Amino acid sequence: MRGITPRREQGMADPVLAEMVHATGATESRHYAAVKPVIQAYRASWVKLAPFRDGPVNPQRVPVDDPAAMTAQIKAKASEWGANLVGVCRLQPHMIDLGSEVVHEFVIACCVAEDYEKVLHGPDAVEEEAMRTYAKCTEISTALAAYVREMGYPAIAHHNGASEVQAIPIFYQVGFGELGRHGSLINEKYGASFRPGFVTTDLPLVEDQPREFGVQDFCMNCNVCQRNCPGDAIPQDHVMTLGIKRWLIDLEKCYPYSRLREEYCHLCVDVCPYNVKSHPDTYKALMKERKQVGYKTPKTY
Amino acid sequence: MEKLYVNAIGPDGDVSTVGLFYSQPEAQKTVDMLGTNPERVGYRYEIVEAVRHVLSEKNPPTSKE
Repeated sequence: MRGITPRREQGMADPVLAEMVHATGATESRHYAAVKPVIQAYRASWVKLAPFRDGPVNPQRVPVDDPAAMTAQIKAKASEWGANLVGVCRLQPHMIDLGSEVVHEFVIACCVAEDYEKVLHGPDAVEEEAMRTYAKCTEISTALAAYVREMGYPAIAHHNGASEVQAIPIFYQVGFGELGRHGSLINEKYGASFRPGFVTTDLPLVEDQPREFGVQDFCMNCNVCQRNCPGDAIPQDHVMTLGIKRWLIDLEKCYPYSRLREEYCHLCVDVCPYNVKSHPDTYKALMKERKQVGYKTPKTY
Repeated sequence: MEKLYVNAIGPDGDVSTVGLFYSQPEAQKTVDMLGTNPERVGYRYEIVEAVRHVLSEKNPPTSKE
């Protein structure tokens, strides 16, 4: 199956970032150039695991008489290894990168939640937590793919080290949540503070279903992420993609804050009111900080 | 910087936005790749200027950074 969804290149391979960096007279993004040793170590961890995304498949195939039981077994294994949410869906073209081909029938989605308390400890703490969860997702997806191959079914891990699949359409389809105005998927428990890892496979599984709980309607009127974005990168109006509302982030406005300076920027996700249910005190403290420096916060804070 | 949407128009006339692109060559490359994709037989594509009201226009609060 060939993919239909474009993936923006990362780092200086992204022509938008390259043009903006070169316009400043520099040759590298300040954010990437200033990377700290702990972040370098996390990045090295997923580069190191990339060669193990795929591997030999056990010729002695375990028969799957009950796909529902096998799905439960896979979810239990991923949870045991640290995934906070695990879901399954049938792979579709819009879940695959444009220009890539993935031959498998199913995709297993895992997510690891970030510790939201880090938002009170500054951008470095938030970035380190994001990288920690990316690294954990890499470990889980790599181990899960090997586990499936050992049962005699082809399986490839997709993570920060290498991937041909798209997180948001898969996360939507497996029922993790809905797409928010800030461009990330929102889960009712974890907000948008979680990171992805995937395994594509032909192991017989049972699909989960999309689950909607009013996020897109809420985002139409909330605007807290939009009003807190230092670069004004989050649009007022949305477009429609395959029947889903999408607010397309303006990278020319986002990058001056997220790529052209050393500090990490994760504010759009941090200020999302969907964080309040699981972290009421931390959310209120963050909103108090934001209000003091003049940004919009929900009325109750 | 130029801002362009690529829209996919399905056989039934439904319009679905593929993404936001920042140059004509970047948008055209996407259209060319989609056009050769066997998964998208019957679709056609258009490149349109991203309308200004869709992209936010408020002044960034730079004094707070």
